Amino acid sequence: MKTFKYVITDPVGIHARPAGQLVAAAKKYASNVDIELNGKSASAKKLINLMSLGVKQGNEITVKVEGADEDTAAAELEAWLKANL
Amino acid sequence: MDYRKAAQGVLDHIGGASNVASAAHCATRLRLVINDNSKVDKAGVESVEGVKGCFEASGQLQVIFGTGVVNKVFDEFIAISGVEAGTKESAKEAAAQKQNWFMRAIKTLGDVFVPIIPAIVASGLLNGLLGGLSTAFPSMAESDYYSMINLMAGAALSMLPILIAISAAKKFGGNPYLAAVIGFVMIHPNLVNAWSVASMDAADIPVWHVFGLTIQQTGYQGHVIPVIIAILFMSWLEKKLHKAVPEMLDLFVTPLVTVLVTGVLTMTIIGPVFKVVEDYILLGAQTLIGLPFGLGGLLIGFVYAFTVVAGFHHMYNMIEAQMVSQNPPANTWMPVATAANVGQGAAAMAVAFKTKNEKIKSMAFPASLSAFLGITEPAIFGVNIRYRKPFIAGCCGGAIGGMLASLFGIKATAYGVTGLFGFLITTGFWVQYAIVMAASFAVAFAVSFITYKDEEPAAAAAPAEETESAPEQAEPAPAAEAAEKAAEEAPAVSADVKVVYAPVKGKAIPSSQVSDPTFAAEALGKGMAIIPSEGRVVAPFDGTVELMYDTGHAVALASDDGVEVLIHVGIDTVNLQGKGYHVHVATGDRVHKGDLLIEFDMDVIREAGYDPVTPVIVTNSDEYQDVRMRIPVTDGEEVLEIC
Repeated sequence: MKTFKYVITDPVGIHARPAGQLVAAAKKYASNVDIELNGKSASAKKLINLMSLGVKQGNEITVKVEGADEDTAAAELEAWLKANL
Repeated sequence: MDYRKAAQGVLDHIGGASNVASAAHCATRLRLVINDNSKVDKAGVESVEGVKGCFEASGQLQVIFGTGVVNKVFDEFIAISGVEAGTKESAKEAAAQKQNWFMRAIKTLGDVFVPIIPAIVASGLLNGLLGGLSTAFPSMAESDYYSMINLMAGAALSMLPILIAISAAKKFGGNPYLAAVIGFVMIHPNLVNAWSVASMDAADIPVWHVFGLTIQQTGYQGHVIPVIIAILFMSWLEKKLHKAVPEMLDLFVTPLVTVLVTGVLTMTIIGPVFKVVEDYILLGAQTLIGLPFGLGGLLIGFVYAFTVVAGFHHMYNMIEAQMVSQNPPANTWMPVATAANVGQGAAAMAVAFKTKNEKIKSMAFPASLSAFLGITEPAIFGVNIRYRKPFIAGCCGGAIGGMLASLFGIKATAYGVTGLFGFLITTGFWVQYAIVMAASFAVAFAVSFITYKDEEPAAAAAPAEETESAPEQAEPAPAAEAAEKAAEEAPAVSADVKVVYAPVKGKAIPSSQVSDPTFAAEALGKGMAIIPSEGRVVAPFDGTVELMYDTGHAVALASDDGVEVLIHVGIDTVNLQGKGYHVHVATGDRVHKGDLLIEFDMDVIREAGYDPVTPVIVTNSDEYQDVRMRIPVTDGEEVLEIC
């Protein structure tokens, strides 16, 4: 399993539209991608779960990637987050 | 299934162990008394595997698991939570404090009569057995065996006031042995047996002259209310005396005064007065059931399930206890109750057969079976009430069965047993009893089967009609600019088609015409968008609010059959921070199609420079083959077909 942390800089947080983009990004990988915030966890592949985390600007999320392609997935998702959120 | 996981799941959704005041379980349900109901996520509880339903009743949060499962989940629940295992009674008591006096009174009656059911059942079954044997072998009735067993069969019923007195004392906090003494007094052999009074000349009945009153020396066989009132008074008096009398005298004075005062009051006032009250209640129930043409049975059979939901049915134990304590026992209420229960079971079974939804199927089928054995809560609360029509269908079956039961005049010899087991206490009426159940089953099943539909009525029940109406809508619609993906070729509608109704009034456009690239590309899922003409968002189906944004600009819902929809009011409107939006429901709320979710002010949105176009997106559309848009759009019309 690969884990990394990321602090959200986007002013509206992981809101519907960015959440949708993140889901689309996460779905490219075979690995399970989970996002944790304050002890709550949600699959990054499920839009509504992800949105109900209510991630806001300044929150530090923990991203857990587990599966066959976890190395690539973790690296690429981290890059994606930095570019988009 | 994993009982520990289920218990943990429930605990997680009710705010943890600290929020549980007490926990108990009955035959089918976990019964929890919750400190703070706002911490309870009912939808969450219902999503736990094994949970067949979750509702609040009688001041308790009741979680349905079903027979055989609930006790195992309960053990795990106690183990995990560390909550002290309450008895069902203690959970009920904790809950009772939350109820009004009327419901408390009814529940008290139930609590008095339920514990003595085993005694009544034993008597009733012995009666049934004797009846059956002596019908088959007439010589049997002459034998000493018959005579001996007959004695046993009659014992509990002829001494019923004593059993009631003991049970009532336990309920009211009096001493059960003193209560038994009061019970003995009321049916003392020196009093004229109440059952013999009818055949005697009034002048032959001995009387007492006390306190200026003339009291007939008759017993209270076959009476229950005077006993309960007497013991209620006794328990009150006894508790007062315990407090008032110095401890060294308590052992002598309290029992003496308690029995003396209660006994005298019972013989002079409580007994005679409440005997009359009771005679009228019994007469009322018997008259109702005996109304011509079975009308009474029809009526009771229909409303019976409603009274179960309201909790009034605890009262029926008392009526039935009165009826079985007549000589001979004549419980005409039970067959009507059976009709109502079988009706609910049959309605749930029809749902099980008709639904395409595996989850509903797996819940409805066992629920229906347990209803036939007399435990109706899983069928009523877990299935029928949720979908409403099956509940009414069950009531219709109950009405027809109840009418027949009343016409046939079926008499049971005990209470506390219904459904298939009812054969054991309806000796001599087997054919009629079977007809009652069959009729109730047939009517409820048929009505439920015809009226129940998975999610979308027209699609499931009348595919032919649906395929005709679809092009009708498509052709004349001038709004056909929106028709890119619409049903221009009438789609072959299968029963699996799920429908999302328009959450907003306005003009429908395909997602591709939305100015925002995320929505236009359908990155969040397939769907459509509506240019609103009115600032109201309503529920597009029966389901649950999965997520309501504080800002009111977006809401996510899940339908009962699994469609997840995101309604996003306006583009980039998150930036308004709730300005111009008024939220009407909260995350976790259950909603029905057409319920108001959000009100929004289009002028505020436009003035702030945002587009109020409202994408309606099926966020789990990759679980389905296709999402098709239809043309209309007025509020409440079908806009999306999902299959």
